[in-house]
Amino acid sequence: MGPQAMRDVVVAGGGLLGWSAAAALKRKLPMLRVTLLPLPPPPDALADRISSTLPSIIEFHRDLGLDDRDAVLGAVSSFRLGTLFDGWCDGRPSYAHAYDRYGEPLGTSSFHAHWIRQAMLGSAPSFDRYSPAAVMARTGKFLLPEADPASPLAHFEFGLGLDPIRYPQMMRAYALHLGAIERPGGLAGVRLRAEDGFVAALALDDGSELAGDLFVDCTGPRALVRGALDQRFDDWSSALPCDHILFADAAPAPEPSPLDHAIAHSAGWRWVAQSRARTSHGLVYAAAELDHAAAAHMLRDFAGSDPTAPIALRQGRRPQPWLRNCVALGDAATVIEPLEWTNLHLAHSAIDRLVTMMPDRDCAPVELWDFNRQCADETDRVRDFLALHYVASRRDEPFWQRARAAVPPASLAHTLALFGERGRLPFYEEETFTRDSWLAVLLGQGVIPRRADPLIDSVPPAQSAQALTMMRERIEKLVAMLPTQSAFLANLMRQAAR
Amino acid sequence: MAARRVVIVGGGTAGWMTAAALARLLPGRCAIHLIESEAIGIVGVGEATLPQIRAFNERLGIDEADFMARTRATFKLGIEFNDWGAIGDSYIHPFGTFGPGTGEIDFHQFWLRLSQQGIAVPPLERFSMACTIARMNRFALPSRDQRQLTSSFGYAYQFDATLFGPYLRGVAEAMGARRTEGRIVAVHRDGESGDIASVQLESGERIEGDLFVDCSGFVSLLLGKALEEPFQDWSKWLPADRAVAMPCRTEGAVTPYTSAIAMSAGWRWRIPLQHRTGNGYVYSSAFLSDEDAAAALTDAVEGEPIAAPRMLRFLAGRRERSWVHNCVGVGLASGFLEPLESTSIYLIQAAITALIELFPERDISPIDRNEFNRLVDLEYDRIRDFLILHYHATTRTDSDFWNYVRTMPIPDSLAEKMELFRRRGRVVKYREGVFLDASWIAVYLGQGIIPVGHDLRADAPSPESLVAGMRKLISDVGALAASMEDHAAYLRRYCPMAEAA
Repeated sequence: MGPQAMRDVVVAGGGLLGWSAAAALKRKLPMLRVTLLPLPPPPDALADRISSTLPSIIEFHRDLGLDDRDAVLGAVSSFRLGTLFDGWCDGRPSYAHAYDRYGEPLGTSSFHAHWIRQAMLGSAPSFDRYSPAAVMARTGKFLLPEADPASPLAHFEFGLGLDPIRYPQMMRAYALHLGAIERPGGLAGVRLRAEDGFVAALALDDGSELAGDLFVDCTGPRALVRGALDQRFDDWSSALPCDHILFADAAPAPEPSPLDHAIAHSAGWRWVAQSRARTSHGLVYAAAELDHAAAAHMLRDFAGSDPTAPIALRQGRRPQPWLRNCVALGDAATVIEPLEWTNLHLAHSAIDRLVTMMPDRDCAPVELWDFNRQCADETDRVRDFLALHYVASRRDEPFWQRARAAVPPASLAHTLALFGERGRLPFYEEETFTRDSWLAVLLGQGVIPRRADPLIDSVPPAQSAQALTMMRERIEKLVAMLPTQSAFLANLMRQAAR
Repeated sequence: MAARRVVIVGGGTAGWMTAAALARLLPGRCAIHLIESEAIGIVGVGEATLPQIRAFNERLGIDEADFMARTRATFKLGIEFNDWGAIGDSYIHPFGTFGPGTGEIDFHQFWLRLSQQGIAVPPLERFSMACTIARMNRFALPSRDQRQLTSSFGYAYQFDATLFGPYLRGVAEAMGARRTEGRIVAVHRDGESGDIASVQLESGERIEGDLFVDCSGFVSLLLGKALEEPFQDWSKWLPADRAVAMPCRTEGAVTPYTSAIAMSAGWRWRIPLQHRTGNGYVYSSAFLSDEDAAAALTDAVEGEPIAAPRMLRFLAGRRERSWVHNCVGVGLASGFLEPLESTSIYLIQAAITALIELFPERDISPIDRNEFNRLVDLEYDRIRDFLILHYHATTRTDSDFWNYVRTMPIPDSLAEKMELFRRRGRVVKYREGVFLDASWIAVYLGQGIIPVGHDLRADAPSPESLVAGMRKLISDVGALAASMEDHAAYLRRYCPMAEAA
């Protein structure tokens, strides 16, 4: 007889991540029995806690069959078009990283090659002025992408700002509706099978046991289940130097911006993310450079409310998020600062893989190998993208001097070297961020290649300049006619109410 | 900026493809000078191509019908493999998907699930547009509308490689490329940098250049001989090292596909063109003598031979680096993989594309050069694994050759891929790479690597709804293919070769 099909899956963790995993498993693999132990997410579980998400959440919802727009809308408090980076490079203007195309190809080559040549000739308005979503975001405008692919407003994507109370409630209700079982209780321990070290059962605080074939760990960085198998960890502190985070909530703004802000400070950065539900503030810092009291003071000044106690972050990832019959998701697999809002995205990707690759009960190493390989490729490239913000910074403080001088991971060094030659970006498997995203940050932080791409020779500079001007004017004209995000939301609510 | 003097050594398919692409896409950046000798024949392998060539032609502004008429080309929807997994087996590796190719779950997963449940399902081939059209000897251009089933296939060409070079020569010369007839007798290097400074012809003439592209074929005149770049020998996995070729008159159908028929010590190709059929036997000299190979080929071919058998020698593998100093190897000068999956011209194209994207200024940046080598290596290594799979996934025990390849140790990268497929029908995904999922699935299943499990998601629908859906799909695919024109008739209408040629 061959290996036996998976049957009983136990999800540990009762935050939005645990419930999302349970919902996805039941939706895609209805033959499984999915039981969830609703442990409250700890304060340092960022995938559960950070409410700004990347556009990939839209596809995740669609895959889950969450197409009841009203239900989702009730749990969503804003639409996000991107992030504005301010103060990362002294003497440079802020730049917007929007989830959109930047410019349109000209002749046989990409837009950015033309922009770079114009910049070298000394006359290029900032790169984000060629991205419709960046222009929308900077002016507080929003609408859903247009269907006509010929429209400049057809190609952007948007992320969501999640309502911190309602979104987990909505996901829990949906998972239960799909047939997931909630087993209330606390975790007392993990019992391993003597013969092969697989997890046999979770020991609960009432003395009972929760047995299963596969255990999904959504318990945050301490990885209460997966951590029982091994504690190997790849540390990223040389590439990502911050090690603490503070949160502070404030009242919602009357006109919430679809553009989150990430503002560098003397020893890290802070964010402002506005939504209908609240204005979320946070401060990410290196405690050796900025003591906790000073950090709290700084955040209180900006937020106008008291911050949480400092939360330690040890950034890095497990080399094997999936070992034997236990798979770690979210912070249990990867701890990463919220810069660029990848926390929930990485967890969603891992859920997709888990569903796609569901093995038999024996959890054959070759199948886990493929899962872990893809997770590693994806996570390391996200780390590279975040590390780029630090290595391409330009500020005087010792923290930033060191960040700039740090030796980047090999794959990021390769990217920087290649880009530095002529603006070419290498291809990596499992890349999260598009070429346009990389360009937005590279060019936004003033990383300019040594020379222009020869492939643009066929278009003379004067012709590029004219085309660039036309693109810019067209975008400005279109965006001027759009509603603000709050007007857009109000209209959406009115439609939903009908 | 002064134009770089680019000297291309060799005027076969690789040489003229390089010349035409550089002249067309980097006008003003380079002055192209190609040196070839009519006394040295061209190998002219790669009569069969992959769909990627269409993008190359398009970028060069080549008109398809004109190009096909001039190279006496036919259409190609895939490759038929006979006698590989076991004698008597036949499958097609299609340029296209199984099923409509649009679902979230790969179609073959549903097919596997039903078979594993003991429900009789037709062969997977019948759910492929490309395979079905090919088996019916028909052709039509695919639809661009992704919602249509007729968008689920692609195509390539089968053409006379000895005519493709001259065709591209016309393109290159019209764009200003210069050609010199002559045989190279010496390569002069700069004493300080080690770069190639010039090549010297028999006539005594020296031709100087800034960048040298070695398209000299197996001899690898610059990269291998002058610069002594080491060769990575892959013959322990790909033991075929000879081929004997013999064109014949076409007898029977002008098939819109290439055939690769396994033989006792290798395999035989059959490539139908408009005016003839190309044939050849690729074999391992360790297992078969040249005389026996020629005799086996002569026995096997269908039509009357047009020429005497011609012998080729080669070795599977690649140069450690394809770009060294100021010399870039393109085509056989940089490496060789047998034409089992028609990758020769694809590899030329991949190298040219990378060269154009990384085209140097006066001083060559090591960053660009390293990136070129990384990209070329990646292509070679992935194709290598795919080729080895064809030999290794077999139950044949009828010759020493098959016993060797069936039992040889294979690269770990391939062993992992095979094991993953065997477990659950999963294909290791690469977003960039020449062969995508359907290619691997076709070869695995066609050669008897049958998964024991399947994607659990495929268990969600009821068996009745799956069976009904499959019935409808087969009938749609069959009806669409049957409505297409006969391949030979299509060629006569679309791109007939000149009669007198």
